[in-house]
Amino acid sequence: MFQSLPHHFREHDLVADVRTLLQLKRAMQKGLVNTLGDIYVVLKGLVTTDPADFGPFTAAFYSYFLDVDIKRGEKLDNAILRSEAFKNWKEELLKDQDDLEVPDVRELVDRFLDEIHLTTFDIQKIVDGAEILKQDDPDMADTNPQQESDGARTIDRAADYREVDLEELLERLERVAKQQKGMHEGGDHWIGTGGRSPYGHGGAAMGGVRVGGGGGGKMARRVVGDPMYYPVDTKSILKDDNIDAALATLKGIEDETAEVLLDVPKTIKEGLKQGGIFLPYEKEKIDHKVQVILMIDNGGYSMHPYIKSVTKLFSKMKTRFAHDLKTYYFHNTIYGGAYSDVRRRDFVPVDKIIADDKNYSVFVIGDADMAPYELDYSSLGNWQKIKKHFPRIAWMNPLQARYWAGSNTVQTLRQIFPMYPLTPDGIEKAVIRMNRKRKFHKKN
Amino acid sequence: MANTTTWTGSDSYLCDPELAQAFHMSRVLGMPLLIEGEPGTGKTELPIQFAKDLSLDLFVYPVGSKSTVEQFVAKFDHVKYLRDSQIEVLNAQREEKGLDTKLSTGGRHTENLDDYVMLGPGAKAYTNINSVLLIDEIDKAPREFPNDLLYALSHRKFVLPESGREVEVSEDDMPAIVITSNREQELPTAFKGRCIYHYISFPEPELMKEIVGKHFSNIEEELVQRCIQLFYQFRQLGLERAPSTRELLNWLKYLRNFEVDEALAKIESREGLGVLIKTQSDMIRVKRNSY
Repeated sequence: MFQSLPHHFREHDLVADVRTLLQLKRAMQKGLVNTLGDIYVVLKGLVTTDPADFGPFTAAFYSYFLDVDIKRGEKLDNAILRSEAFKNWKEELLKDQDDLEVPDVRELVDRFLDEIHLTTFDIQKIVDGAEILKQDDPDMADTNPQQESDGARTIDRAADYREVDLEELLERLERVAKQQKGMHEGGDHWIGTGGRSPYGHGGAAMGGVRVGGGGGGKMARRVVGDPMYYPVDTKSILKDDNIDAALATLKGIEDETAEVLLDVPKTIKEGLKQGGIFLPYEKEKIDHKVQVILMIDNGGYSMHPYIKSVTKLFSKMKTRFAHDLKTYYFHNTIYGGAYSDVRRRDFVPVDKIIADDKNYSVFVIGDADMAPYELDYSSLGNWQKIKKHFPRIAWMNPLQARYWAGSNTVQTLRQIFPMYPLTPDGIEKAVIRMNRKRKFHKKN
Repeated sequence: MANTTTWTGSDSYLCDPELAQAFHMSRVLGMPLLIEGEPGTGKTELPIQFAKDLSLDLFVYPVGSKSTVEQFVAKFDHVKYLRDSQIEVLNAQREEKGLDTKLSTGGRHTENLDDYVMLGPGAKAYTNINSVLLIDEIDKAPREFPNDLLYALSHRKFVLPESGREVEVSEDDMPAIVITSNREQELPTAFKGRCIYHYISFPEPELMKEIVGKHFSNIEEELVQRCIQLFYQFRQLGLERAPSTRELLNWLKYLRNFEVDEALAKIESREGLGVLIKTQSDMIRVKRNSY
């Protein structure tokens, strides 16, 4: 059953493994999955862990179950229009209604989306709605033609699998997933209103029932999470919400202070053992704190394109480490020191910078790209001094990693500093390395 | 057997279909539902209204920066234990001296460690079949907290301190667990993997109107229309702190105290916006931009 699913979803940078499969199976056994729309909902709940996942998830889902491949930056609608699944579906649809004029493409995509994202929940609503209609006015469905032009959605044969038993359903799901990949026989595919399509099942009871509101693909689009349904590049330069994620991995330094507290549980336990003679036991108070130094290259044109992401990171750092954050600024590289203000007026010599506690985590942010003569011997010496004093240091480069090799100065600085791209991924790697360093440092 | 029927909201709470589906799924699978989303979108309200609507027992654990799993599961009351053991010694001494009156330990026995275990909301919910458990604002917790919770959530089992008693619940009897987060810090991946994830997207104007309708039964249509229109306009200004549903509702609550004409006049003159806009620079932007 869907053995290739975890692998496929992982390729889209999502977290999926055997457990996902087991949980999906469990959901099926519990009757949660009756339509393709249900699979979307269930898998989404299981696989995604962040709104940023929704884009990749939708892409993975469409490519796995429907063979609709969304190219980078492409909109879902266009990908659907290109796809074989859509073509087949359209053919089937038009075969049934050849007396009608061909609807607008946009409308067709909407209907396609509606069918894919039809869930048990919706069907329940349709059934409930039908009952209410019946109770209210048995003729209403026929005598109210206005509603039809309302753009209300009509489902000729609802995609209901409730009558199909589980084994058969699983088999069918698998077969269809395979078929979408390989040959494309007309009609025998996931979506379709006609003949051999799985959607033909159990339809009779629900024939011609109208769904109020939410028609015209709107509901489906909402499910897909408009406007987040464009594939999101998870390796993109930092954005507002993923900075938090990366910084969260920065672990505190355990600081054993001189403060001592009374260890109440131990005192009582020992006292009881002594037959009621209570001797106070004490324990040291342990504090967690994180101290950060930021060194930002805020000068020159080369850093200009990255200002936004750098300031964003900076402001995040500022709120997160409000009390223990120190910031220095420099232009391209340092000569004898850096500046404590943005305009680079207040000079702070290197010796003063390294007078700080070596437990500080230091992030140097800069593109490290400059004229080779700028990075002279004394400047390199200064960097080395800083590196030596602060074992927890990393250089975060907003320049994309593939351009690093093209710059001599980047290469030189890389030999001194562990360098990471300024992406959530990069920050996380840097932080993991820093945390490792700390343990090492403490032992010595 | 826990309640696993689909719940789509009550008279006073509008649960959008996607959230209802995710919530249903989490209850059927016996997994916690992790809800994230902007502040004021009704994350916390979901379990509260669900419990109220179906009259189920609700246990709430509000998470803070000092939260520990100990508070959530169960705590051993050392002080009471000490007091009782001292009382036992005293009683023995009194007996020796021939006094009949005894000091009471309130039915507790020092040999029975279970008597001194104070159950937290987690253990209480697990022992109460078909209950609702809300773990509110888990993102405020210290970093270890979610990881410490993992065991209990995936094994459906707590081990009580000192007494070692196990509180276990079967998959079918799992309480409906809802965990909310404002994304102030990222939760560990392993933790999220144990939950059904749902992100509440900000309601569209039409849905917002329905939500307002749920809260205020008779309110002037014109007033609601104007407020909602302005509300979304403000949200699009890119304010430092965009107003949320909660603030819109408070705004309407305030405006409802006036006659419609008066209220509308207040809106046009941008009076009483303090309930909606919470920083000075935002207020300046709103006043400058919204004519």
